[in-house]
Amino acid sequence: MPTGPAAVAGGAGTLALAAVMVGGAFVYDMGAVHISVQSKKPGGEHIRLIVPAVAAPIAMQFAPKRELQKAVEEAGPYLPAIKIALEELAKCPDGPLVQVTSPREKVNIAKVGDALVIDVDDEGETVHVSVPLKAAGIVISQLESIPPPDREEHAKHSPPAEGGPAM
Amino acid sequence: MEGRNVAAMRKILLGLAIVLSTSTAALAVDRWVHIKVEDGGANGEIVRVNVPLALAEKVLPAINTKELRGGKVKCNNAKIEEVDVRAILEAVRTAPDNEFVTVESKRNHVRVAKSAGHLLVKVQEWKGADKDNPDAKGKQETVDVSIPFPVIEALLSGEKDELDVLAAVRALGTIGDTVLVTVNDKDSKVRIWVDSRNTTE
Repeated sequence: MPTGPAAVAGGAGTLALAAVMVGGAFVYDMGAVHISVQSKKPGGEHIRLIVPAVAAPIAMQFAPKRELQKAVEEAGPYLPAIKIALEELAKCPDGPLVQVTSPREKVNIAKVGDALVIDVDDEGETVHVSVPLKAAGIVISQLESIPPPDREEHAKHSPPAEGGPAM
Repeated sequence: MEGRNVAAMRKILLGLAIVLSTSTAALAVDRWVHIKVEDGGANGEIVRVNVPLALAEKVLPAINTKELRGGKVKCNNAKIEEVDVRAILEAVRTAPDNEFVTVESKRNHVRVAKSAGHLLVKVQEWKGADKDNPDAKGKQETVDVSIPFPVIEALLSGEKDELDVLAAVRALGTIGDTVLVTVNDKDSKVRIWVDSRNTTE
């Protein structure tokens, strides 16, 4: 069995490669968030964004806490339902869920594969958003774990519990 | 001999259990409730919503608001307490098919009937009718509601002051394709129905 610095370096390299492969598999499994906004104005912009869905929960760590708490406060009672809906949607066959058609705009929300796809086509622009259901579920779980501001304030100002570790 | 019979019976029961469980699962997954709203006004908007019943069944218990809790809606409306809705519906359910209520006036016709296991409510209203001129009936608005009795029974299966929406959704999953509500007025058309397709027509 080879020993020495070369063997140690080889082992570390294999370990790093395995870590990259596992990480890559995780990123691949989570899919990607696709966002496309095409302005209909002459010479209008076309913005295309493809972000690995794994980045969404990470990006939430950098989002303003107050804003997240506000969102949680408003959507709080519905977050468990949204989470379950996302899990159940994953089991449903592909198809349109909501379609709004008017002379001025068309909105289509559909389940396509493992993603929720939202298409909006109005007089000013065309918007296409595709969000992997799994990633959306993780974001919802993270939102659920954010304490409301009053509970957080209370935790900050309340004295340590009796019998707790002495400081 | 007896042992062979028991084994055969066990096989049949196992087969039956598999068939039943798979068919129930398929039924729950394949049933969809559809809502289509057509706005005939200036906007000319059409809204179509397709919801798998299995999804509604799982999501409803997770919604806990003031009115909706555990898939049940609290009705603090005194009218429900004063009238024994269950007793009335039970009486209608066990009665033969018939027309139970008919109200006819210049402006509207209301009909409540039982037909083929469904409770039917039909309302016709003439908006802009001139009561002094019976010929000027104005624009007609119709509301047709057709609810299968198992769904009504499930809806009323909870406490006296609540509607068990979750049980009603479960019951909807066990019935065949059916149109539940149709509303037609001068500005809009609404249709709510259940079938096995995941798209509206």
